[in-house]
Amino acid sequence: MIIQAVLLVHLLLPAQIAASQSPPEAARLLQSATDAENRGDLEQAIVDFRKAVELSPSSAIALLKLGDAYMRKQDYGAAIPPLQRAAELSPDSVSVHQLLGYALLSQGYAAEAIPHLEIAHESGALGIAQLQADQPEEAVINLKNALAKSPDDPDLIYYLARAAATLSSEFNEKLLAQFPQTARGHQVLGQSYYSAKMFPEAEGEYEKAIALRPDLPGLHLELGEIYAAGSQWTQAEERFRAETKLQPGNAEVAYRLGDALLQGGKMQEAAQELRRSDSLRPDMPETLYALGRALVVSDPNAAEQALDRVIAVEKQSQLAGQAYLLLASTHRKQGKSELAARDMAEYKRIHSLTSKTEQ
Amino acid sequence: MMRTCLLSFLFSLSAIAPTPKQSPEPQFKLSPLRGIDFVLRNSPTSRKYLIETMPGGVALLDYNNDGLLDIFLVNAGRVADPLRGPADFDRHNPSYWNRLYRQNKDGTFTDVTVQAGLQNAGDTNYGMGVAVGDYDNDGFADIYVTNFGRNILYHNNGDGTFTDLTAKAGVGAGGWSVSAGFFDYDNDGHLDLFVTRYLDWTPEKSKTCGRIAEPMYCPPGEFAATTNILYHNRGDGTFEDVSAVSGISAKPGRGLGVAFADYDGDGFTDIFVANDAIEQFLWHNNGNGTFTEVALDSGAALSSTGKKLSGMGVVFQDYDNDGLPDLIVTQLPHEPYVVFHNDGKGSFSAQELETGFGALSGNSSGWGVGLEDFDNDGWKDVFIVQGHVFDNVHMYDSSLNYREPPLFASNRRGHFEKGDAGSDLPVAGRGAAFGDLNNDGWVDVFTTSLGEGPQFFSNRGGKAHWLTITLRGKRSNRDGYGARVQVNGQVRFATASGSYLSSNDKRLHFGLGSADSCAIDIRWPSGIHQKLRGIKADQFMIIEESEP
Repeated sequence: MIIQAVLLVHLLLPAQIAASQSPPEAARLLQSATDAENRGDLEQAIVDFRKAVELSPSSAIALLKLGDAYMRKQDYGAAIPPLQRAAELSPDSVSVHQLLGYALLSQGYAAEAIPHLEIAHESGALGIAQLQADQPEEAVINLKNALAKSPDDPDLIYYLARAAATLSSEFNEKLLAQFPQTARGHQVLGQSYYSAKMFPEAEGEYEKAIALRPDLPGLHLELGEIYAAGSQWTQAEERFRAETKLQPGNAEVAYRLGDALLQGGKMQEAAQELRRSDSLRPDMPETLYALGRALVVSDPNAAEQALDRVIAVEKQSQLAGQAYLLLASTHRKQGKSELAARDMAEYKRIHSLTSKTEQ
Repeated sequence: MMRTCLLSFLFSLSAIAPTPKQSPEPQFKLSPLRGIDFVLRNSPTSRKYLIETMPGGVALLDYNNDGLLDIFLVNAGRVADPLRGPADFDRHNPSYWNRLYRQNKDGTFTDVTVQAGLQNAGDTNYGMGVAVGDYDNDGFADIYVTNFGRNILYHNNGDGTFTDLTAKAGVGAGGWSVSAGFFDYDNDGHLDLFVTRYLDWTPEKSKTCGRIAEPMYCPPGEFAATTNILYHNRGDGTFEDVSAVSGISAKPGRGLGVAFADYDGDGFTDIFVANDAIEQFLWHNNGNGTFTEVALDSGAALSSTGKKLSGMGVVFQDYDNDGLPDLIVTQLPHEPYVVFHNDGKGSFSAQELETGFGALSGNSSGWGVGLEDFDNDGWKDVFIVQGHVFDNVHMYDSSLNYREPPLFASNRRGHFEKGDAGSDLPVAGRGAAFGDLNNDGWVDVFTTSLGEGPQFFSNRGGKAHWLTITLRGKRSNRDGYGARVQVNGQVRFATASGSYLSSNDKRLHFGLGSADSCAIDIRWPSGIHQKLRGIKADQFMIIEESEP
């Protein structure tokens, strides 16, 4: 596959290349070509650079500048031969390797581009080349490095996601090929079915996995999440409960169980489990909101405390808005109409903010 | 017996004497009704016109006053593929007629559509719903049919025939009407009319969504919202469109179901509109001919987690016997049907989880809904007809189904638990009406399904006592709609409206458990307070409004 997106490279001429000797006529042609390039006349620049190369075939600078001109013209195929020759003549030139790496990558020679991009320390392009060359593990590392330097680059995010998915897929295929009847094999299949919204098939694979390794942490949790996605709260509760036995100190598992109990209408049990989750990891906003929801009818004061904590943590988020809405309901029921009105005003304000963000 | 009755009255919640539950038999039996050959022909097309998936209503009414409930069914129409304007839905073809079935004394039914003069539904009308009320107080139930197109008011002539008086009455509406209901918002003794409208949709504005290879109906957000309509009954057989002056048209929505009750006890009937994919509407009746939409600030607009509902069907009755009308709103899957508990002082709180609907309904799509005491134990149970909007929803989410069996949930002192509806047969359920078709004292269910015949869920009955009341207003409207009727601590708000597209038996049914007599308190819309004591159970009563 040909990479269409080639990043602009600023040509920095290394001192040793710039200083190399050329015949006077070649030097004159180099100058006129550079002038033409500066005027934006790439065609003339290429003609002059080519003549300079003919007069001085061992001039790395002429070769590099010719390759660069082709790159600017987006004729990457034509850029490759002079850049390869320049790399032979100046193997330490970062600029030459940088341009050659991009040129090769853009023409689909990903594997060939890799050593040049490595020398040039172009981690983003290197990651892309490695992804194209079926080296997803290395690609993930380099793309993550590039993303650390340019965190808002959507192209890098896209390629990192692709590399990670490819890596995941490769390992999953390996797992399925070598260990199809293991718990992990069924788990991987279950995850795939779940992603495709094929819930009954996903449930079946997880059931098989659990039958093989009931002690494996995570299996009950993931199966419980499938049941929860289908609003099958009794089954979800059963699985989350099994997971809490395997991971009694895991706050998220306790939250999942608490939420399943809540959705199933078991408000007291839900509150108990959500309190346990809160004690394991305090100030988890989802846990606090669910706790407030569980207590809103039976213990409005305790609900209010939990919801106040949601707001303290979340401030302006959608969840904070939901907490205000629930607080308003609690205060209305308690006859605290002024507080309810204040809560509603906050809810509307946050709702307006979050709606704008969504748009 | 009188002692039981008074104790029940004084200690409303605790004194209701429940009969033993958990009968081994399901409460209902899916039964054929002889003589009913209706098929709801919605005519689904490849273009996925949204109207196709929304019909159709059913009404249980006694049009000839013989004491037996008759059945009126709204049909949809033929939809051309593609549909080009001006739309012709082929309603003159008998396959697409609305139908009136008269109940005979032996429990069979006779199609009297032609006899009654109801065969002309209008070729440009695609049928939706039905409302029933005696708008001219002549003692005979009139029928209002909603359509995509023009709505039709059929006046009951009292001799088994009806006359289309839409033009004279001025209630044709237009656009896409869905549910409608008669109620008396100004307590002048004449039934007014409220009509929900869904979307600003025409065949020309139609879109298709989903994947190219697997198109699906578009969600409502793809189309503009529209306004509901309020008609004021002038008392001379004509109505005035007061949507603007009353404030109703100030707030466009995506209205589907509608239900009425006086939620704040100020003596004026309020309106709840189930909106699809936006906030629900609670129109507070200001008592001066105007309404204010108060759902958000009253706590009846959103789910308990602040989510907008895909509101479809709605019922506005008291589920927990605290005397205040609550709301149950059915909606699309992945969120439970929402119960808005009336907390008093004009406020509600969403309690779908506390009442058990999280476990009952998370993956279902609900439409017609009834809150009736099906087992006569003194607590109103829930019956909901179900089925997803999209006929190919399983292609997008294998956990969802276009066809679903209905949900029956028993009320255990305010908490609902799944019961046996008597059928696991999945259908694309839509309309549902509730009433005692065979006059045995046990409420039955009649439902409609897209592309199929209706279903009749016959109540198997039991041993508990009951009372069924027909109100006869004098100063109030003759149907008594809007009256608050309390029997042994249970309250019903007199209405035939609620559910989805449908009109229920207007009689008020009360389960009495083991109590064989009771006390009755009625607050009529006129303001008259009427009390009856020592009333024997297990009877059909007609209660005429007393003099002031």
